[in-house]
Amino acid sequence: MYSRLFLPFVRTTSNRFLSVGSNLKTTLLGLLGLAICVTLYLLTHRSVGYFQSQSELGIILSMKIYQMAWITIFAMLVFSSMITGVSTLYLSSDNEIIVAAPVDLPELFRMRLITTFIHTSWMILIFSIPIFFAFGPVFDSGPLYLPLLLVTIPATAFTACAAAILFVIMLVYLFPARRTRDIIFYLSICFFIFLYLIFRLMRPEDLVNPEKYGQFIEYMSAISTPAGSWLPATWTSNLLSSYLLDRQIDFLLLGLILLTPLVLIFIGEFLMARFFLSGFSKSQESFGGTYRFRPPKQMKSAWRWIFRKELISFLRDSKEWSQFFMIGALVIVYLYNFKVLPLERTFGSTYVSNLIAFGNIGLSGFLAASLAARFVYPSIGAEGGAFYLIRSSPMSPARFFFYKYLFYLVPFTILTLVLIGISNHFLKISGPMWWISLFGATLICWTVVAMALSFGAIYADYHAENKSASMGPGAVFYFFCAITYMLVILFTGIKPTYRLVRGWLRHDGLVLFDTLMVAGWVGVALVLSALIALFLCIRGVRALQPG
Amino acid sequence: MSEPILVTRQLSKQFDRFTAVNAIDLQIEQGEIFGFLGPNGAGKTTTIKMIAGLLQPTSGSLSICGQSMADSPMRCRQLTGYIPDRPFLYEKLTGAEYLSFIASLYPGSSTKQTLEGAERYLTLFDLHEWRNNLIESYSHGMRQKLIMSSIFMLDQPLIVVDEPMVGLDPKSAKIVKELFKTKAAEGTTIFLSTHSMEIAEELCSRLSIIAAGRIIASGTVQSLQEKAEHGAENLEDLFLQLTGAFELQDIIVALRKDSTKN
Repeated sequence: MYSRLFLPFVRTTSNRFLSVGSNLKTTLLGLLGLAICVTLYLLTHRSVGYFQSQSELGIILSMKIYQMAWITIFAMLVFSSMITGVSTLYLSSDNEIIVAAPVDLPELFRMRLITTFIHTSWMILIFSIPIFFAFGPVFDSGPLYLPLLLVTIPATAFTACAAAILFVIMLVYLFPARRTRDIIFYLSICFFIFLYLIFRLMRPEDLVNPEKYGQFIEYMSAISTPAGSWLPATWTSNLLSSYLLDRQIDFLLLGLILLTPLVLIFIGEFLMARFFLSGFSKSQESFGGTYRFRPPKQMKSAWRWIFRKELISFLRDSKEWSQFFMIGALVIVYLYNFKVLPLERTFGSTYVSNLIAFGNIGLSGFLAASLAARFVYPSIGAEGGAFYLIRSSPMSPARFFFYKYLFYLVPFTILTLVLIGISNHFLKISGPMWWISLFGATLICWTVVAMALSFGAIYADYHAENKSASMGPGAVFYFFCAITYMLVILFTGIKPTYRLVRGWLRHDGLVLFDTLMVAGWVGVALVLSALIALFLCIRGVRALQPG
Repeated sequence: MSEPILVTRQLSKQFDRFTAVNAIDLQIEQGEIFGFLGPNGAGKTTTIKMIAGLLQPTSGSLSICGQSMADSPMRCRQLTGYIPDRPFLYEKLTGAEYLSFIASLYPGSSTKQTLEGAERYLTLFDLHEWRNNLIESYSHGMRQKLIMSSIFMLDQPLIVVDEPMVGLDPKSAKIVKELFKTKAAEGTTIFLSTHSMEIAEELCSRLSIIAAGRIIASGTVQSLQEKAEHGAENLEDLFLQLTGAFELQDIIVALRKDSTKN
């Protein structure tokens, strides 16, 4: 009787994986997953083994990392379950069928809880097992470590998911579902940025220096202080670490870990029956938008409207603009890496910093290419069903394409210039390398933006539900081509740049022959980039023309 | 006289400060095809969602076959089949799997019997050969026909339909109209929301017109035409008069003037 609501989930999953041609894909994905698991196991085994072999401090550090890993995974699961939970419980399209049918709310709760748990946890479950399992051989644990792990990982993950769903039911009872989802989304982004920044700012590279362990453990202790004994992740990490170190099983903790999910299910069923319908009723109310926007300014030119449309579509979509936080964190860490480079301890630091500045052209290009894959590539497909407006208008596809290119070119150029300018400042770069890095990075940025837009037009998916869903094989092909192009530009530039910079550093001036070589490379790079961009743009514009 | 199938008393729904449905009273008898008309944003879909149990009324009451929606929501849902205007279908299920799933959601009659009924409708709608194909390969009309089959097979006393003919070819539309008539003759009550005056005129025994959340007229097509101020010739004229679209005449005159100027 209870299995009836699972039918769409089970059949959808099996039809997806068993459809024609998917066997090979499933096998390849399985092999890839296995390879990742093995790599994670080996990496963790090696790192934990290294710490453990150092001293008493090494063991403490390993255990701290173990506890941190549990708490981090638990927090990740809580946040992702909350976001998914709002969607599956309140915003699912099939709610119109299921809620309109005589289905008991506790039954619906169990179905949504289990499917949300599977959706949000399967990847973390699969990939966390090899990480935690690697601690076993290092600490020479007993035979029960793996069974304990296999029981506690799903139980703890289920607890995280159930707690998140309970919280969601209460939140949506108080606030509209879409607003709740947005708030949780921002909170989770902030949380992950916090984790990312704090991890980088801890300078994990110092771990190779045992003298700095003490300082590192202080850091770890400081950030893990809020992990109280009431957290299920702490119960699990305490249970497993006591077995790892002393081969002792705390059955009270084990019972607590296994019983908590059941208790949460009972509480959830009660909350569902009491609060769901009211929250669901509210979640369908599209009248929350009482906020009125200002009437638009009169703008005659089409390019201004296209710019405006792109900008407001971006700024009014919280999933899009909130990624600025992630980009901000990326930029901070990017620049921080240059700030903390131990150049003063390096022999020939001026040469090394110039070499790094040259490599930085590739790094900033890689960042531009990645961001273009996320933002520029899907921008034409994102026109979606509304693209007929452009196609049926008197605006030529080439003009539309050019306006789009200009729109994205400005922020990408600013970002590249900021990255190169500030990292050159940290590297104390002056002379020709400053200009070469500026030229190389800007040229690569302009070309990869053109490439992303062209590939996005050629492989546009106008039916994709959202921008992330429109990233198909075309995006992978774009990325491959963009990286190949960058490598060609960089490799052809190594020798002329090296000669010019070496001469400049030795003689404090420019050597004519070396300058001409660099000028030749600049010319070749310019022509090559222009040809690639032009060829792809023409193909992209053709793809936009009605077929 | 048998008990009314659907009764609403002062049924209202408020979204923040906006009143979508304002104290509507309806009483619909067994075997009626009841038309629910209104301009865009009048409150039709909100009312339908309340009848289907998808929205909770802010105030007022609603009962189906004598069962109160507030007290026995499960029983009311058991008695009501709902066909939304933009129906959701699981893309990766086959048509047959989808029907089995829907049959399982409505216990009471035997699933086997229900699915036998489904076979009949699938054949009627030319969907039988497609029943084992994934829904993602269906056209818009085929999806509409599948969701109709899924509700007709349940044989419930009340069927609530929001815009039933969208995307249907003339043959399928004719079949649906005949099905509505047959079902009504067998005792099923059909609550039909539509923008098509022809369909309402052809099918509905009674109708209500809703505008700005209030019922502004109720009765048979004939009785409403008689009540109309300027002697409406058909339902469309009547609808336009009642929903304030009489300015339409002025707009048409102004447009014609503009075109002669140009």
